[in-house]
Amino acid sequence: MEYPEIDRYASLDSPVHRFDPRTKIATFTFLVFSFVFIQEITIALFALFFSILLLLVSKLPIGFVFKRVQVVLIFVLPLLIIMPLTVEGTELFSVFGISATHEGLRYASLIVIRAMAAVILILTMLGSMRFDTTIKALYMLKVPSSLVQMLMFTYRYIFVIIDEFLSMSRAMSAKGFNPGMNMYSLSIIGNMVGMLIVKSYERGERVYQAMISRGYTGNPKTRTAFAMRRTDYVLSAILVGFAILVHININTVMM
Amino acid sequence: MTKEAVSIRDLNYSYPDGTVALEDINITIEEGERIAIIGQNGAGKTTLFLHLNGTIKSHNNNVVIFGKDIGQMKSKERIEKVGIVFQDPDDQLFMPTIFDDVAFGPINMGLDEDEVERRVRSALATVGLTGFEDRVPHHLSYGQKKRAALAAVLSMEPRILVLDEPTANLDPRNRISLIRLINNLNRNKGTTTIVAMHDVNAVSQLADRIYVLNKRMVADGSPTEIFMDFDLLRENNLDAPDVFRLFNVLSCFGFNCESLPLSIDDAVEVLTKTIEGNGKHIHLHIHEHTHEDLKDIMHRYDHHAEPSK
Ligand SMILES: Nc1ncnc2c1ncn2[C@@H]1O[C@H](COP(=O)(O)OP(=O)(O)OP(=O)(O)O)[C@@H](O)[C@H]1O
Ligand SMILES: [Mg+2]
Repeated sequence: MEYPEIDRYASLDSPVHRFDPRTKIATFTFLVFSFVFIQEITIALFALFFSILLLLVSKLPIGFVFKRVQVVLIFVLPLLIIMPLTVEGTELFSVFGISATHEGLRYASLIVIRAMAAVILILTMLGSMRFDTTIKALYMLKVPSSLVQMLMFTYRYIFVIIDEFLSMSRAMSAKGFNPGMNMYSLSIIGNMVGMLIVKSYERGERVYQAMISRGYTGNPKTRTAFAMRRTDYVLSAILVGFAILVHININTVMM
Repeated sequence: MTKEAVSIRDLNYSYPDGTVALEDINITIEEGERIAIIGQNGAGKTTLFLHLNGTIKSHNNNVVIFGKDIGQMKSKERIEKVGIVFQDPDDQLFMPTIFDDVAFGPINMGLDEDEVERRVRSALATVGLTGFEDRVPHHLSYGQKKRAALAAVLSMEPRILVLDEPTANLDPRNRISLIRLINNLNRNKGTTTIVAMHDVNAVSQLADRIYVLNKRMVADGSPTEIFMDFDLLRENNLDAPDVFRLFNVLSCFGFNCESLPLSIDDAVEVLTKTIEGNGKHIHLHIHEHTHEDLKDIMHRYDHHAEPSK
């Protein structure tokens, strides 16, 4: 099992890495919102191309990002089959009396392209800074504290829980357990997952005790020191400009 | 005159599931004392510690720290008084980076930025983790995590430092430096230290007084008093330090000294003193009772044996 280390390449050096974290989050989020409202396939492709360009600029390994894009694709790709069959419209072709529509295919492609563009953007953003920086930036952007804390603790303890899972499964294989697809195996694995939940719950309790012991009252405060530079303003202007541009374009095309 | 740092009166505690963890606990610890609490697994050491800083609230106002009921204290006052380092470091390093974690307490105490910075640096330097500020907790080794967790409590500069199993899983060098560190805090800053530990060989280096816990406080005394009491040790599943046992064995061979040593350092001192006071040599021999005495001594330490007589 692999650790979900989204910030493995945070120490690379690129314009995207150097971008002020707060501004990066704000502008990338703006871009993502702008992209998901695109209605034209050509413009969506253009947006996808722009995301890939940003990814290239960030120097993050393509494979690292693509592996994570795949996960999202598993969820959206089926739309390419389902939507043409369900959306009403002009017929493209028909098999066994079920007809696929032009509109369906168009919507599905639009969704897939927009999703990819957005996911690549988000991965580029998250991958180009350390996760603790992301958390601090979110905190400074006045994202509700409970949300930031949830993110923070999830990220901190996902590693511990994976370790716990690994040591449990090692302990089981040391006792001669070979997972297979039978009732016995499944019930053992069910037990293991149950144990993991109980363990996590109890750990949560102990962590909370440790936090109380150090004066936690509901708002963890951290020290943050970010400073905007000229390049940050330039880069955000470009990104925001592009986010607006893709929508202006639609209007001129439609007029 | 010394002040009472901790005073607990008639404390009882059961977990919500009905497990009785503590019964009729009474303890008094003076400021500046070095205390160890020993007891078998499940004896209630951790549960007792959770009461010391009000994490578990007792409803009868029976945990009093420096004359004040812990339940009445504001969080800031509470953490200035009592700092607890728990057993599992993963439970305690909950912030994204080591710096944030060590700064967590001081920030909650409302200190200004420079002071927070100063305390983090000094705490990390004390535990030998300078340069680890930006590291993330899940990439540290167990011993490093353990030291980082200690730094996170040291940075609050508490007047009472409570450590649950501080030496467990540390390599020898780190164990020695941890013991030295705790003793330095006690000597130089007058910090009251309370440790729970299973390592009886190290107990006497960290404590002048020992409480033996087994749901109830079954005994309280100097390390020598506690380790001399074979029945007490056996009934509570405890061991005596190896050096102490060895000198018990030596006494069967006719070695006489004033007080039996509890650690290697003590042993060096005792041996030197005894030999010098004895015409620069000692005489060991086997006499008629030696074999019986040996059997008796070994029997007393045997956990599986029936209590003698
Ligand atoms: N959250 C809990 N819920 C119910 N029972 C608990 C809980 N935590 C501890 N106990 C029980 O309370 C008793 C005292 O546990 P505690 O953890 O204080 O022991 P300990 O002396 O610290 O042991 P160890 O040396 O193993 O750390 C044990 O019987 C334990 O099973
Ligand atoms: Mg314990």
